[in-house]
Amino acid sequence: MRKAYLSIFRIRAAESFQYRIAALSGSLTSFLWAVIEIAAFTVFFKYARGPGGGLTLEQTVSHIWVRELLLFLQPYNIDGDLLGKLTSGDVGVELCRPLDLYWHWFARTSAGKLVVFVMRCLVCFLVAFLLPGGFAARPPASPAGFLLFVPAVLCAFLLCSSFLMLMTAVRTNITWGDGPMYLLGLAGGLLSGGYLPLQLWPGFMQPFLLLQPFAGICDIPARLYIGSMEPSEAWLGIAVQLFWSVVFIAVGRFIMARRVKTLVVQGG
Amino acid sequence: MPQIELSKIRKTFKIYERPEGKWALLRGAFSRTARTVTALDGVSFAIGEGELVGYIGPNGAGKSTTVKVMSGILTPDGGACVINGRTPWKERTAHVAEIGVVFGQRSQLWWDVPVSDSFLLLRDVYNVPRETFKRRHDELTETLGLGGLLKTPARQLSLGQRMRCELAAALLHSPRILFLDEPTIGLDAVSKLALRSFLKEENRRSGVTMLLTTHDMDDVEALCDRVMVIGHGKLLYDGGMPALKARYAAREGEDIDEVIARMYEEMAL
Repeated sequence: MRKAYLSIFRIRAAESFQYRIAALSGSLTSFLWAVIEIAAFTVFFKYARGPGGGLTLEQTVSHIWVRELLLFLQPYNIDGDLLGKLTSGDVGVELCRPLDLYWHWFARTSAGKLVVFVMRCLVCFLVAFLLPGGFAARPPASPAGFLLFVPAVLCAFLLCSSFLMLMTAVRTNITWGDGPMYLLGLAGGLLSGGYLPLQLWPGFMQPFLLLQPFAGICDIPARLYIGSMEPSEAWLGIAVQLFWSVVFIAVGRFIMARRVKTLVVQGG
Repeated sequence: MPQIELSKIRKTFKIYERPEGKWALLRGAFSRTARTVTALDGVSFAIGEGELVGYIGPNGAGKSTTVKVMSGILTPDGGACVINGRTPWKERTAHVAEIGVVFGQRSQLWWDVPVSDSFLLLRDVYNVPRETFKRRHDELTETLGLGGLLKTPARQLSLGQRMRCELAAALLHSPRILFLDEPTIGLDAVSKLALRSFLKEENRRSGVTMLLTTHDMDDVEALCDRVMVIGHGKLLYDGGMPALKARYAAREGEDIDEVIARMYEEMAL
């Protein structure tokens, strides 16, 4: 049975790898955006009065590039194909498969992310190493940090997929429209550290920011890469990621199972 | 015991309506009234193994809703349905493993990848052993003439070609029952005839039970010994095609569409 989900993952990845140009142009957007942000941060760090935040300028620049690398995990939107199927009623065809709808769509959702990673994020990240001086991406802070960064990215992939599936399960109630999804997506983006590194937020918020569900999508792996989280503390970060993945999967499955029972397949 | 048995299946849908009159758009954003529409109003029938049954009725009569209930993708409000010994919506995954469904207006092929990739995916989804799959695949490719189409992405197929591929996709796992919801919609005469002869042959050879909804009465005449008519959510006729013609035809040799139109009129549909 597991083979079926692997096959779905494979076919979805193969399908999305056809859209190379779209992904490459996204890469350029990422690149320009990061350069502008770095310029702004450089100004802030240079002229700021009083004690700095939790990061140095070098760490912040590195954080920005790692964020571009992990941009594919940002939970902006659910899988476009699945949204189309829900609104057009093609979800009926999906339900005619002898598969658990949740894992079926989990495989699809996560596979759809891979192409964005390779074509958009990886390309942008590697090019960033060629930039001059203060703009360039830097190698990881320590070998141990990098060794822990890799599993943290895998956990972030799991966390992001399970959060997107929660959004998909909510969206299964099609008469609600996109509103609740946008709210969830915005909260996720902000709290993942995708807009501002979480360690630059006020000090009293730090314990909350580390333990909340979205830090694991971007900030925790980034901390390990830039060295603002000691390798010896990595277990906590990864435990937070896994904990919230399990929670999202449990809640997503619960909502999905209830929705499927009352789902109305649209159209004749 | 019949393979498919429905008794007193009921399904209603809610339709939300906007209030009328002054400021209706604005008021509609805050309050709305719901109207209940009865799609199925106590439908009962039984179908035995290997039967080929036509299921007809005007638009909005409840044909597709019945097919959805029998496919396990829609939960009815009341009544019982047992297919292959299971209640479809309660044991959905076990149930759908033994049926095939073709929706004429929807596609089950992956849009952007070659047809053969979709077929291979179905092998894994239905867990068909390799040799069994290969035999069945070759057989269907041959009888449906898919040889040249397998490497083409589904989006570049014509409707007739796609429908042949859809049929193969629905039959690759050798289901015991096949539901066809308007399979000939939009097809040209040649494709239609090819589809009909394939269905007839498939039914005869592998004994798969088929239920076919359509608006094309020639489909029903050519294929089905038994025809069921539904209207306003109720089953209005269940029997042979000749008997139906005899009852409603005004004269000998009248066009079948005229006969059906008269029947719908007399039944006040």
